[in-house]
Amino acid sequence: MGKVPDRLKKFLWPAVFGLGFLLAWQLGGFHALLGFKPFQLPVPTEIVRTLAENMPKALGDCFVTVSGAIAGMLIGSSIGFAVAALATAFPAWGYGGLIVLSAFNAVPIVALSPIMNRWFPTGMGQKIGVVTVVTMAAMAINAYRGLSDLKPFSLDLMRSYAARKRTVFFSLRLPNCLPSVFTALKINITSAMIAAIVSEYFASSTSGLGFGIKDNLRKAEMAMGWAYITIASVAGIALFLVIAAIERRAIRWHPSQR
Amino acid sequence: MLINTPMFTATPVFDTAPEIEVKNVSMVYENSVGKEVDALTDVSIDIKKGEFVSLLGPSGCGKTTLLRIIADLLEPTSGSVRIAGRTPREARLKQKYGIVFQSPVLYDWRTIRNNVRLPLEMMKVAKEEQEKRVDKQLDLVGLGKFAGNYPYQLSGGMQQRVGIARALAIKPEFLLMDEPFSALDEFTREKLNEDLLRIWAKTGKTVVFVTHNISEAVFLSDRVFVLSPHPGRLSAIIDIDLPRPRSQETRESPEFFSLVSGIRKSFEGVYARRGKE
Amino acid sequence: MPVAERSRRLVVLVWLVAVIAAWELGAFLLADVFHDAMAASKLPFLHDIAATIAKNWPSLLEAAGVTFSKAAIGFGLGALFGYLLAVLMSVSRIAESIAFPYLIVSQMIPVLGLAPIIFTLVRDMNASRIVIAAYITFFPVAASTLSGFKSVDEEKRQLMRSYAATMPVLYLKLLVPFSVPYLFAGLKIAAPLSVTASILVDMLGSKNGIGVKLLYALYGGAKDIFWASVLTSAAMGVFSYLFIAQAEKVLVPWRKSLPSSAGGQSA
Repeated sequence: MGKVPDRLKKFLWPAVFGLGFLLAWQLGGFHALLGFKPFQLPVPTEIVRTLAENMPKALGDCFVTVSGAIAGMLIGSSIGFAVAALATAFPAWGYGGLIVLSAFNAVPIVALSPIMNRWFPTGMGQKIGVVTVVTMAAMAINAYRGLSDLKPFSLDLMRSYAARKRTVFFSLRLPNCLPSVFTALKINITSAMIAAIVSEYFASSTSGLGFGIKDNLRKAEMAMGWAYITIASVAGIALFLVIAAIERRAIRWHPSQR
Repeated sequence: MLINTPMFTATPVFDTAPEIEVKNVSMVYENSVGKEVDALTDVSIDIKKGEFVSLLGPSGCGKTTLLRIIADLLEPTSGSVRIAGRTPREARLKQKYGIVFQSPVLYDWRTIRNNVRLPLEMMKVAKEEQEKRVDKQLDLVGLGKFAGNYPYQLSGGMQQRVGIARALAIKPEFLLMDEPFSALDEFTREKLNEDLLRIWAKTGKTVVFVTHNISEAVFLSDRVFVLSPHPGRLSAIIDIDLPRPRSQETRESPEFFSLVSGIRKSFEGVYARRGKE
Repeated sequence: MPVAERSRRLVVLVWLVAVIAAWELGAFLLADVFHDAMAASKLPFLHDIAATIAKNWPSLLEAAGVTFSKAAIGFGLGALFGYLLAVLMSVSRIAESIAFPYLIVSQMIPVLGLAPIIFTLVRDMNASRIVIAAYITFFPVAASTLSGFKSVDEEKRQLMRSYAATMPVLYLKLLVPFSVPYLFAGLKIAAPLSVTASILVDMLGSKNGIGVKLLYALYGGAKDIFWASVLTSAAMGVFSYLFIAQAEKVLVPWRKSLPSSAGGQSA
């Protein structure tokens, strides 16, 4: 591969590997290796076919899940950010707030879901509830770091200008925390999708990707189950890329964007 | 050791009333392991309007502490500071000084122009006036062409010059500089020294300059206040009677050498004492 | 500074008390002020939950033990393979270019969504728990460790070269110790996730484990057990995190732990 330019190589190798993996799968390599029957582990072409046949329903379910995930993520991130802002304004006591949020984070999603089932009547409400709790901590921790991790002498400079706390917050801390906020958003969008799907397993929803997976597995429709996972992954990746694109425009000045 | 030679400079005769009066200032604090540190002990200094003075000494001598006390970023344990009759706090609240730190402290997310504009925005200066001043200061430091760039696109020395432009933009009465060039290489530092003198000659502000570099202090200043550590105290006031404007030639003159080595010798005593501690 | 440490603990304590008080207040409002019929299952009194736990703690502990132990095994295996992959990627640029995109993508696949599928493939309860916990741990550990290897500054590497250090020595004496904090950042993310994954598998039709208790309580109607199980699982998650954090303090005494951005990549 001497003449192939480096950037192309970066695509080529993983692509080759990926194709090889899919090929092995298609031709029954994993089935032979691990003793699976075709109906247990559908081959890629069958997954794609099933997905294509059921595209409208799959997309509809995808929309339900994604909207719940995004809504919950926005609420959870806002709460997390508010707590981080309070913790910055009142450093001595605010620290405890961050700990509380982190503790919420430790509650397994699978336990949150039944709790939300009790609190909210609709599947969508339950989903948003779970996603909110799951996304608070990541935003709080990252935002706090962004708001308080300032360049040395920055605060001294502000003090020399006799700047009020409010001015310091808006002109210094807020722009400074944007990169960290985007890091948190990227983490949260992934967690939000997972949380939304898991919530749908246990919720009273009759639509959504999680429900779809559960339903299809129950009916032993493995191909559909895999199809749904595929769509969920594609949706997750697409959302992540959207956030990354917004990040690129919003923090052009940051080292990570050069 | 006090050298009392008459002052002979090319700048106009100073206003006799001191601009900055430091009287018996002491600073004692507890360090991270609970020990008491005498950062400054009974320091008294008078700085005249339009003078360029340096606070010179090794680390631990309290020079930065003293600068911060003047800037009202620290409160002394005892003693007083008067700036044109006002307290440091009043001076700070009324934006009477511009300060330049060791690192440029530019906002990554603002262009150079907007960085220089920052204090003017906060002082609610009119937009047109802001533009005028920003352009003027950037031209003064020679960075007019880079107004639209971001900090990361400039070298360390250039970023520091932006810091100086920003400090001057508020039209302060005096300038405080805390080892602004210590993070730069020797060549850049010497060039910036000359630039700084050029700017100072044009603006005529009082400058208090902190450094640990003897040559730099001698090259830049009218007077050098030498401080020694453990405990931090004023150990000498040296008049620098080299003619202005100063240039590379000044650095090579015998008078320059004798001033620098004189100061250096006075520190040998300090180091010998330290060795025995 | 001992003073700061003490006041920090005090703050956390105050917050803990405040949260407990708020909870009790909420439960009180729900039950006795709003007369919510579902109050007992929405937000029961903490002391009630405590009583239930006290009454049932042997079975709760046993269930937790089953779930936790399998999660721990999966966690260990996943961490081991993740670490080895990171070493491989650091040694071979080809391996890195192949695996890197998949590493990124894998962090976006809803792994918990994969759980039922893996379960139908593997069939066996215990094996499923281990496989899923391993999968969930594998990628964060590989990503963080690789990040650690790559963060070694060039000067340190050059020093090693000046000592004519061979590859194994370079790794043993420089890269491995240097990357330990990064490894722990990944472990701290993966630990609670492994516990969650294991609980999820419980709920897919196992005979024992804390997830089963949750499930029975949900559909069987033993309401008090439900919240007791929830708190137990939360405790397991917190415990796994604290365990790793403590291990880090012991194994990495030379620096403060990396600021962990809770959840995936380290920025």
